[in-house]
Amino acid sequence: MDSRISLSLLLTLVLGSALTVIYVKHQSRVLFAELRGIQKQQDQQVIQWGRLQLQNTTLATHSHVESRARHDLQMQIPEKVELVRLK
Amino acid sequence: MKRSISPRKATRRKTMKRESSIDRPEYQPQFLGARHYFVLLVMFSLLAGLVTRALYLQVVEQDFLTSQGGQRQIRTIETPAYRGSILDRFGTPLAISTPVDSVWVNPTEILANLTALKQVTDKLELDFRATVTLLKQRANREFVYLKRQLEPDFASAVAGGIDGVYLQREYNRYYPAGEVVSHLVGFTDIDDRGQEGLELAYQDWLSAQPGKRRVIRNRHGEVIEELAQVSRAESGKDIYSSIDMRLQYIAYRSLARAIQYHAARAGSAVLLDARSGEILAMVNQPSYNPNRRHNMDAAQQRNRALTDVFEPGSTIKPFTVAAAIDRGRFHAGSTIDTSPGHWMVSGHAVKDVRNFGVLSLSDILRRSSNVGASRIAMSMHKEEMWESFKGYGFGEASGVSFPGETSGYFPHHSQWQPLDHATMGFGYGMSVSITQLARAYAVIANEGRLLDLSLVRKEVETSPHNQIARHVMKASTAHALIKMMAEVVGPKGTAHLAAIPGYQVAGKTGTARKSIAGGYQKDDYVAVFAGIAPVSNPRLVMAIMIDEPTQNGYYGGLVAAPVFSDVVSNALRILDIPPDDLPTLVQSREQGA
Repeated sequence: MDSRISLSLLLTLVLGSALTVIYVKHQSRVLFAELRGIQKQQDQQVIQWGRLQLQNTTLATHSHVESRARHDLQMQIPEKVELVRLK
Repeated sequence: MKRSISPRKATRRKTMKRESSIDRPEYQPQFLGARHYFVLLVMFSLLAGLVTRALYLQVVEQDFLTSQGGQRQIRTIETPAYRGSILDRFGTPLAISTPVDSVWVNPTEILANLTALKQVTDKLELDFRATVTLLKQRANREFVYLKRQLEPDFASAVAGGIDGVYLQREYNRYYPAGEVVSHLVGFTDIDDRGQEGLELAYQDWLSAQPGKRRVIRNRHGEVIEELAQVSRAESGKDIYSSIDMRLQYIAYRSLARAIQYHAARAGSAVLLDARSGEILAMVNQPSYNPNRRHNMDAAQQRNRALTDVFEPGSTIKPFTVAAAIDRGRFHAGSTIDTSPGHWMVSGHAVKDVRNFGVLSLSDILRRSSNVGASRIAMSMHKEEMWESFKGYGFGEASGVSFPGETSGYFPHHSQWQPLDHATMGFGYGMSVSITQLARAYAVIANEGRLLDLSLVRKEVETSPHNQIARHVMKASTAHALIKMMAEVVGPKGTAHLAAIPGYQVAGKTGTARKSIAGGYQKDDYVAVFAGIAPVSNPRLVMAIMIDEPTQNGYYGGLVAAPVFSDVVSNALRILDIPPDDLPTLVQSREQGA
């Protein structure tokens, strides 16, 4: 009697474990696919970051800023006669 | 009674009954001799064959087959890592790596599909026939680049979904500041190795180590499972250089204008933080754009400020005076008779522009008297003078670790002839780089301490009191000297064009004949100016050298000094350094009004 119970118990456990293996494997595949997706996204963002950095530095080039200030905004460095000293 | 008999026994009895009536002709197993055995033999031998094959594959060839299977599915792929950036002291990028993709093919795979190859070559603007020939030559390889370093979106549009065409992630180096800082930053080759400048000097620090991963790929080359990380990807580390891009740009623009206006051959300028020894700006002409290096020649590439030497001429005179005061030969109030304006030293005449008569030390600097300077030099033993000059950093590297840096030419005193001793007093017979000259002026600015210069930002805010620096000049001498040099920039000095309204400035001009083999060039000059500002609390040191000015004058005070005034006045404003000479500012304002 005892041996029959333990045998069926063992069988159930083996079956259960086998099903779990399948499930876990599936889970790992799903997660891995997700990871790949996120990595691709990260990659895209790195590319965009580089592009933005370049754009930023191009726009902030001193010669560019200077010409915008002088010509578009009509700015100038004050002459010394225009300086007022505040005490 | 029936119960006493077990059911089994009953069955057996029945069976026995049946066996006894065997004579019925329903089923008669018969041995058919040879045919029977033949069929059995064939079946068994087939089975045996299968078993043997299975055993053979499982036991004998297992390793081979597993590895072969793995080779078709398991790949070691690189995890890309990018090179560190070079930044200015506030984080403005000077060199950054941006991702690009290189298109490569497996010749065997792609040659099987020529229509696909034609599409790819058309998109990449490559010659189809030449590509096919190239790939046929390399048919035994598995990896051939078609085109390198393309914009990622474009590259994936080209290679997307075509078997045998693959992409490799790489990083392209881009220099946003272009020619303004190109000599200093340098550049890398296509494989991301530093070739020049900081890129080369800090190669190990900047360089990236791509990682390796073992993965399983499916038939389409997509990664479906990661087995192990063989090595981690290590991206390069960033460098904060000591450069302040705002000042660098102003210095670049100002130097370029001066070179153009005076039709000069070349030029360099260095701006130092007088307290920390950090190089805030270092510019050279001619320059080049590191992003487009096709027609670049060696003359454009040199970081002249560090690699080229010249005879410093009169800009050395303050150091002659300093050495003599330090050695007790003279004091700040001493006078020297320079008449009749020339002096014979071992058969050669040291000449002044005219006869200046009796001059104070300060006048010797202001009038730039060669006779006076050589008299002062000769008042010292040559060992003493050599030792002092060595202390100011002449003849030694400046402390920056930069490829190709020169330590100048400053011969040992045992090689000095009396004439050398005399001419050394006004800067002939030795040569320096403009950076060395700036470093020596920083000694005067820094109460006699010699700083190690740096191209990398110093993390701790250094003040003169907490740094380890050699005392190479007495503080009192440095104070006296800076006052004398302030007169050079004064209205009566040779360098009045270096003056900055609102600030006291000290400096010295130099105009040196260029030496050629066996003598000096008649009409070729080097115009030099080195200066310190503000005098009351020195913060900035700048040295400028302009090589062979040919138009609109050639004197240091006329060619190099205006660059100092332009750059340093802007730098003082940008760095928020308070004016130390307001009365003149107010005065000039009232005059202007």
